Amino acid sequence: MLDLLRATHHNLLRNKLRTFLTILAIFIGSFTIILNVAINTGVDSFITDQIESLGGEDFILIASEDTLDSLSSTLTSSSEPVPYNPDQTLSALTDDQLAELKSIDGLIADSFTVTRSLSVEYISRPDDEQKYLITAQALPAGDFHISLSAGRLPDQSTDAYEITLQSGYPEALGFTSDEAALDQTVTLAVKDPVTDQITNFKATVVGVQAPGVIAVNGAAVSPALADAIYAENTKYYPPAQADAAYLIQARFDTSRFTEAEIKQALEDHGYTGLTVSDIMGMVRSFFDVIMVVFSIFGGIALLAAAIGIVNTLYMSVEERTREIGLDKALGMSSGRVFAEFALEAVLLGFWGSVAGVLISMLIGHAANLAVHAEGGFLEVFPTFNLFEFTPAGILPIILLIMFISLIAGTAPALKAAHKDPIEALRYE
Amino acid sequence: MRPILAVQNLTKTYGHRPTEFTALNNLNLEIYPGESVAIVGKSGSGKSTLMHILALLDRPTSGTVELDGTPTSTLSARRLNHLRSQRFGFVFQQFFMNPQDTILENVILPLRIAKVRRRDRRPRAEQALRTVGLADHLNFKANDLSGGQKQRVCIARAIINHPEIIFADEPTGNLDSVTGAKIIDLLFKLNRQGVTLIIVTHDEDLAALCDRQIRLQDGKIINASPRPRRTSKTSKTSKNSKTAKTQETK
Repeated sequence: MLDLLRATHHNLLRNKLRTFLTILAIFIGSFTIILNVAINTGVDSFITDQIESLGGEDFILIASEDTLDSLSSTLTSSSEPVPYNPDQTLSALTDDQLAELKSIDGLIADSFTVTRSLSVEYISRPDDEQKYLITAQALPAGDFHISLSAGRLPDQSTDAYEITLQSGYPEALGFTSDEAALDQTVTLAVKDPVTDQITNFKATVVGVQAPGVIAVNGAAVSPALADAIYAENTKYYPPAQADAAYLIQARFDTSRFTEAEIKQALEDHGYTGLTVSDIMGMVRSFFDVIMVVFSIFGGIALLAAAIGIVNTLYMSVEERTREIGLDKALGMSSGRVFAEFALEAVLLGFWGSVAGVLISMLIGHAANLAVHAEGGFLEVFPTFNLFEFTPAGILPIILLIMFISLIAGTAPALKAAHKDPIEALRYE
Repeated sequence: MRPILAVQNLTKTYGHRPTEFTALNNLNLEIYPGESVAIVGKSGSGKSTLMHILALLDRPTSGTVELDGTPTSTLSARRLNHLRSQRFGFVFQQFFMNPQDTILENVILPLRIAKVRRRDRRPRAEQALRTVGLADHLNFKANDLSGGQKQRVCIARAIINHPEIIFADEPTGNLDSVTGAKIIDLLFKLNRQGVTLIIVTHDEDLAALCDRQIRLQDGKIINASPRPRRTSKTSKTSKNSKTAKTQETK
């Protein structure tokens, strides 16, 4: 086998220019496809990261249709914080509505987190006129992975009023950087439901969330602060209404229902469900377009490369007709002749794809640096690597290209294997 | 003594009726170990076809070819490949060397085919090249050699696997007479060491050096004689006389 490999390599080196050009053709195809896969991996891992921070694939956000519409503008943290508008109101879900939701088949009733939706009117810095809308809530218990660009998440057991802001807020509030906001005091304004009087809660900024496409939980506050705001929100409520919720976080049974089915069920009852993939869908669809275009280019390039392999090998078989004749006259089996040429094709594919991997990694890493640099289009998403190279993404491509090469090499290799030594030796 | 190669009622035709062409017509022939046999005839007489069939490169249309008494038609392609690789050596008029490769690489080709261990190859190549007087040309490119040197490399390649039979197809055809004589000398030296020599030629002088001449015309053997029925002993004395003759021509 080693002998065969050596012989094949030797043959490839005989016509260096032709071998190089063939490898170049394969390289172009593999380069395109590997970059494509790298983008795919990059987007996927970013989205996975986001989904995790939102609670997972089975996570669904439920609200009445009006509420979700008015909320959706604040859901996307990559957009600028929205200036406060006093007319925008949210309607809470009633106990009856909650019971109705829990009875919908597929939603896991136990998972309902009647989020203590905190009604905060705006956020501002003390002694500053600039006010911004904000949603804030305590983090639900359990594993929530949230990327931070500075500081930490609020301590779940402290009595202090702590807040971890969403990305963008520190700048809007006039801090020079995310770090500069740490340990600073901000004011959360809560309106008295009856008198419309504003009560200010001072909170210490302990962290800033990393930019993401979405941060559904809004600003995270410590439970102590959440309780205080909630008590203010509900101070006139009868006890039964104190549990009122605007948004329900729930999980649904992914083994029995698809997202679409669950959402349809909710819609039938007059609610809207927002799944994590809904939120991510728009991001995906943008990259999907890029990837389809890339894939088509890569596929065409590979097809051309495969024809190049066929051509190269046919030329090689013609050139080496007498040599093949001699080999066979001296007792080389047809199988071995076939193997030599087939292996030649596979080696061409191998080197072409390895070159594609190396160059695309080089360019991919350079591109990652470029898009995250100041002014790069992913500057605001430091955790989003546009190109991500993993063995699991790259190896199958190399194998696939070697396989395509093998297929391309089959016809010439068969022709070589079927050469009659007598005819071949007579060939001039 | 048993013939190493024997053909009975050998017929080889090409094409189909009505344009059928009979290259060999009902030949009977025996070749004994240690013999030197010349197959002579004009071009188109079928001598190359006969050699190809004897060398198991081609199969007859009808009739049998026996190697050591075994009908070769019963052998698999794999077995035939193995036989050629292990027991036959080939010398061609056009040399058939890979011009970009070194002498060493050209000479070890049969060892590669026979899957001889890598480390055993070079010593055997050196030995074979010593036999033909080219031991110091190991790393020359085949392209840089003269015709006579090329043919000597081919002989080295033919003997590297210690074959029992060497098939030489017009071995001196592309060489001048002086160089050709050296090649002939080399081939008969191998013959004296016990290698059976089958030479296809239209060169009467070369044919005359062989123990026996098989003359072909239009696919038939036209000389029934001389067909010496020798024991191995007489064969040897006869060979010695041929040796003398070889030296004379030189």
